[in-house]
Amino acid sequence: MELANQIIFFAGALLLVSIIAGLLSSRIGAPLLLVFIGLGMLIGEDGPGGIAFNDYGGVFFVASLGLAIILFDGGLRTPMADVRLVWAPSLSLATLGVAITAAITGLVAMLTLDLGVVESLLIGSIVASTDAAAVFLLLHQRGMDLKKRVGATLEVESGANDPMAVFLTVTLAELLIAGHGDASWSVLTNFFLQMGMGAALGIGGGYALAWAINRMELASGLYPVLAIAGALFIFGGAHFVGGSGFLAVYLAGIVAGNQRLRANQLIHRFHDGLSWVSQIVMFFLLGLLVTPSSLVPDLIPAGLIALALIFIARPLAVLLCLLPFRFPREERLFIAWVGLRGAVPLYLAIIPILAGVTGSLIYFNVAFVVVLTSVVLQGWTVPWIGRRLDVQLPPVPETAGRLDLDLTPGMDRDLYGWRVEEGSTAAQRPFAQLHLPRRTRVLAILRDGALLPRETLERLLPEDQVLALCPPEQSIKLDRLFGRPRSRRERTPSTLGDFAFPAATTLAALADTYDLPVAKHMREQTVGAYLDEQLPGPITIGDRVRMGAVDLIVREMKGGNIVTVGLRLISDDDGRGPGLRVRLQEIVGDLRARLRIVPARPKPAASKTADANVVPLRKAQGD
Amino acid sequence: MEIVELLNVDAVVPNMKAASKKQVLQELAARAARLTGKDERIIFDVLLERERLGTTGVGNGIAIPHGKLPGLPRLYGMFARLDTPVDFDAIDDQPVDLIFLLLAPETAGADHLKALARVSRLLRDKGLCEKLRGSDNRDALFALLTEPATSHAA
Repeated sequence: MELANQIIFFAGALLLVSIIAGLLSSRIGAPLLLVFIGLGMLIGEDGPGGIAFNDYGGVFFVASLGLAIILFDGGLRTPMADVRLVWAPSLSLATLGVAITAAITGLVAMLTLDLGVVESLLIGSIVASTDAAAVFLLLHQRGMDLKKRVGATLEVESGANDPMAVFLTVTLAELLIAGHGDASWSVLTNFFLQMGMGAALGIGGGYALAWAINRMELASGLYPVLAIAGALFIFGGAHFVGGSGFLAVYLAGIVAGNQRLRANQLIHRFHDGLSWVSQIVMFFLLGLLVTPSSLVPDLIPAGLIALALIFIARPLAVLLCLLPFRFPREERLFIAWVGLRGAVPLYLAIIPILAGVTGSLIYFNVAFVVVLTSVVLQGWTVPWIGRRLDVQLPPVPETAGRLDLDLTPGMDRDLYGWRVEEGSTAAQRPFAQLHLPRRTRVLAILRDGALLPRETLERLLPEDQVLALCPPEQSIKLDRLFGRPRSRRERTPSTLGDFAFPAATTLAALADTYDLPVAKHMREQTVGAYLDEQLPGPITIGDRVRMGAVDLIVREMKGGNIVTVGLRLISDDDGRGPGLRVRLQEIVGDLRARLRIVPARPKPAASKTADANVVPLRKAQGD
Repeated sequence: MEIVELLNVDAVVPNMKAASKKQVLQELAARAARLTGKDERIIFDVLLERERLGTTGVGNGIAIPHGKLPGLPRLYGMFARLDTPVDFDAIDDQPVDLIFLLLAPETAGADHLKALARVSRLLRDKGLCEKLRGSDNRDALFALLTEPATSHAA
C-alpha cells in the first residue's frame, strides 16, 4: 500500500518536474531530450538519487511501447501530400542511407575500439538510424517552419529508418551469438519478408482501423483509446507473424491519419499527450539505466565514433542517397546535419544485452555517448543552422487562439473563433480599418463573456473573442490578423522575398526594373514559367533561383502552379544573427509571456453563440 | 549603404494626407519633384508603372515605392508618414501608413538594389515602425530612420 502510493507520488512528481524543466529548456534552446535524460541520470546510481536500476528487460519493454506510440503519432500527423512529395528521397535515406552510415561508423568503431568486424558493424547499425521522436520534437516543438521538401524528407526518413536499423541490429546480434559469419541469402529474404509483412499489415491495419473508428458508435472519449488499441494490436500482430512492427505501426498511422476520422481532433490531442509521456518516460528510464561511471573508459573512442558519425558518415550517406534527387546544396547540408539520434540507438543497444552477447555493455555505452553528443551538438544548433542555410520559412502566426467547428459537410465555409492576441494587427487598428479576406463575415464579438454590439465597437482589444464565418483557405489570413506573431524578435524574415509579383510578370519587366541579367531570347518568358523550368522536381513554397543580385522565390502556389513570385534583394548584412543581448531579451520576454496566467476562455459561451447563429450562417452561404 | 546617404531631413514628411493609393503616389511625386528638380508627371508615371508590376506594399502597413528616373544625379530617398492609413493593395491586405520612396538614376544598377535592400531591412523592424508611427516630428523621425543599424536590432 505504502509503496504503491510512493510510486504514484514519485511518478507524478517526475512528470511535473519534467514538464516544468521542459518549458524552461525550450526557451533557452536546450534540447528537451537532454533534460529528461539528465533527470534520469541525477536520480540514477551515480547521481544524488543513488537508485541502482539495471532492469534492461523492463526498459526494453517500455521503450518498445513508447517507440510504437511515437511512430503511430508521427504517422497520424504526416499528410499524404508530404509522403507523395518525398517518398523517394526518404526511402533512399532510410534504407541505403542507414546501411552506408552503419558501414562507415562501423569502420571507425573497428579502428577505435579494437573490435571484430561483426561487433563493429553492430555498433554502426545501432547508431545508424535517426530518431523519429527527436526529429518530430525538434521540428515541431521548436516551431521551425522548414521548407516543405526538407522538413518532410527528414520526418518521413526518421519514421521509416527505424525498422531498417532494428533489422540490422537484430540480424547482427544473432550472427554474433551464432558465433560465426553466416551472411547467406537468408538474411536478404528475411529482410524482404519482414518489411513486406510489416508494410502490408500496416497499410491494411490502417484502413481497418479507420473503418472501425468511423463505424463504431462509442462514447467519444473512447475513440482515441480505440485508435491506440488498434495501433498496439497492429504493432504486436506484425511481430507475431514475423513482420516489422515499427514499420507496420508507422504506416498504419499514416494511412489512418489521412482518412477522414470521426473525433479526429480528439484522437490527435490524445496522441499528442501520449507521445509526450512516452518520450519523457523513455528518455528518463534510459538516463536512469546508464551508469555514468562505467562510461569513463569508453569515453574517448565513443566520442570519436560520435564525431565520425556526425561529420563523416551521415553527410556522406546523405550526399550519396540524395544524388538522384537534385536537392540544392544548402538543403543537403541541412538534412545531413539534422541526423538526430535519440532513444532508438539506446533501445537498439539493449538488444545485444538481452540477447546475451558477451561484453555487450560497450554497445550501450557507445550508443549513450553518441546520442548525447548528437542531441547537444546537433539539437542545439539546428535552429541556427536552419537560419544560416536559409531553409526556414517565415513563421506562421500561432493558431493557438483559434477554435474551429466543422459545420455540415457540403458547406464551403466553416465557423471559426479567435481570441484576439496582444500585439496582433487586429488589436492595433480601429475595427473599420481591418481588411477582412473575401467572403468572410464576422458574426459576433464577445468581450468579457458578453456579446458586443458591432455598432458601438471601435477597436478590438486583446482577449476579445471573434466568431467569423469564412472559407477554410482564408482562415490563415485571419490567424495573421488576430494572432500574435510567433517570434518575439519582431522582424519578418525575408525568406519569401522583399517584393511580390504575379507569376505572369515577364522577365523583361523585372530585368528592366532591377538590372537583372536576362538573355534576350528569355525576355518574353514569364517569371513563373522560368522558375518552373529552373527548379527540379515538384516545386514547393520557398524554392528559389538566383538571378544576378536577387533571388526569385516561389511565394504562393495553387493547384501545383506558381501564383506569386517573391523577389529578394541580397544584401551584405544577410545572415547576421541577433546578438547575445537580444537573444537574452527574447528569452526573458518569452518566459514572461509563457508564465503569464492566461484567463480561461469562455468556451461554452462561444459555442452557444455559434448555435444561435445557425440561421444567418445558412443565409450567408449564398453570397 | 546607410540610410543617411539616401535621406535628407527635408525629405521626411511627418503627416502626409492622402485618401487613396493614387493620391499617395501623386503627393509623393509632387514632393519628389521639388526635391530633385525633375518633372512631377514623369516621377508619377515611373511609380505607377512599378505598382502595375506588383504592389510595393510589403506588409505591416509599410510601402516602398521605387523606380528609376533618367537624368537623376544620385539616389533619392523620401519618407512619409500618413495621418490615416490607406489601402495600398499590400501583400497582407492591410492599409499602409509608412512609406519610403526610393528613386534611382538609370545607371545606378547595384547601388539601387543595395539601397532598396537596406530600406527593406530597416522597415522590417517592427519596434522601429511602432516608434515611427508614434511620432509626427520631422527631426525625431529623421533621427529614428538614420540611427546606426545595430541599435534597431533590439
